[in-house]
Amino acid sequence: MILEYTEEQKSLRETLLKFARQELNDDLESRDREQVFAADLWKKMGEMGIPGLAVSEEYGGGGLDPLSTAIALEALGQGCWDGGLLFSLCAHMLPCAVPIDKFGTEEQKRKYLPGLCDGSLIASNAMTEANTGSDAFAMTTKAEKDGEHYVLTGNKIFITNAPVADLFVAFALTDAEKGFHGGVSCFIVEMDTPGVSCSRKIEKMGIRTSPFGEISFQEARVPAANMLGGEGAGATMFTHSMDWERALLSAIHVGAMERLLETATTYARTRSQFGRPIERYPAIREHVARIKAHLESSRLMVYRSADRLEKSRSVSQDAALSKLFVSEAFVDAAERCIQIHGGYGFTTEYKVERVLRDAIGGKIYSGTSEMMINIVAAWLGMGSGT
Amino acid sequence: MAEMREEIREFILKEFLPGEPAESLTDDVELVSSRILDSLATLKLVTFLEDSYGVEFAAHEVGAEHLDTIDRIVAFVESRKG
Ligand SMILES: Cc1cc2nc3c(=O)[nH]c(=O)nc-3n(C[C@H](O)[C@H](O)[C@H](O)COP(=O)(O)OP(=O)(O)OC[C@H]3O[C@@H](n4cnc5c(N)ncnc54)[C@H](O)[C@@H]3O)c2cc1C
Repeated sequence: MILEYTEEQKSLRETLLKFARQELNDDLESRDREQVFAADLWKKMGEMGIPGLAVSEEYGGGGLDPLSTAIALEALGQGCWDGGLLFSLCAHMLPCAVPIDKFGTEEQKRKYLPGLCDGSLIASNAMTEANTGSDAFAMTTKAEKDGEHYVLTGNKIFITNAPVADLFVAFALTDAEKGFHGGVSCFIVEMDTPGVSCSRKIEKMGIRTSPFGEISFQEARVPAANMLGGEGAGATMFTHSMDWERALLSAIHVGAMERLLETATTYARTRSQFGRPIERYPAIREHVARIKAHLESSRLMVYRSADRLEKSRSVSQDAALSKLFVSEAFVDAAERCIQIHGGYGFTTEYKVERVLRDAIGGKIYSGTSEMMINIVAAWLGMGSGT
Repeated sequence: MAEMREEIREFILKEFLPGEPAESLTDDVELVSSRILDSLATLKLVTFLEDSYGVEFAAHEVGAEHLDTIDRIVAFVESRKG
């Protein structure tokens, strides 16, 4: 496990940090208020090839290994205050573009990856249903074979990017009896397929610039050639996607914590009360030191799990562990940062309150903290807890 | 092969059926329908098989067809080891 960046990783980090600081922070306060997805900023990221950083070069991607991808995402997280935009980026790349690259047929890769890498296509991962979140494999959406097509019927909820998506990586039952064990399959579904609709855009507390919604498949005919990974491959595909998401989305949070630390120390140095800068007060110093401790441990956990992606299936444990720890560390860091800012921190003008609202979702999406605890305990030999 | 069979039995007993006598886990006990192998247990078992025997499960092969009984697991691993 390396602790020093290679020359390429250093320059990747510097380039993306500078890009994010200069280009990705426009007009955020009003976009957050109005829940607006920044199509123009997405386009800028596309021009830089950011949506395809982890995809193979031959299909238009950046060809980064998972650890370098973590370093890249961390730099974006540090430079960009728009947590929603970066969440949409991760929801597009980690459980959509990456699995198409890893498990797709040559035809699927040629058809979809170049557009996914340059951002001209936006993807969305559709698993959760109204009655099946943590227990995702108890889904009811089904896919029935009909000649050269599968007919998809069912509804998915809380689907990030759905309102702006061109395609979905969607999970459906091809054999209800088998369920997790070979009964769930994965499909690339184009948004303009008859029978597919995004029926509702849902308002949320944080990451508001990342749109999410409910989608419905009403006898949507999807070509059999759009099945991803083979019939019954859903469990492996979903596990792979979640490992990537848990390990690498957390890298964004590490970057965001670095940004919070910079913001907190700058404020503590410049704000004076009782005739002295508040940085002198032990209680304030403790907040800052604890943010730093969380940041450094989170970074190590993220690098370790990123480095282990693709090396062993047991990375599921590392990814769950780092997702559990980092998402909670991020919430803690955001709260401490607000506290250091006092009353100003509580106002929307000072942007740190938004970071807390953004951070809270991290304990829920990609598997809740409680489910991460179940996974970690199961890998420690304590059974699944269900 | 007999050795592998016993290693797999031992792993399943230790990990997913602590305290159960070895005799209760015969070669034809259905691990999936009896819910001994839920989703997390299945991933752990597959990791164990891949790491121990140098085989690889393709995405669509992680299912009841190859994992439901010790007999099926052994047959699958043997077929992959060539
Ligand atoms: C911002 C955001 C973005 C999302 N994006 C997507 C997306 O792009 N695609 C997608 O498919 N889904 C997405 N989701 C859905 C997300 O994955 C689910 O919300 C999450 O898995 C939890 O499911 P649930 O909401 O149904 O809660 P439930 O599963 O109903 O859980 C309710 C509570 O019970 C606890 N609980 C449940 N089971 C257990 C157990 N066995 N042990 C202990 N506690 C348990 C949970 O931890 C939670 O506290 C998103 C969610 C959010 C908030």
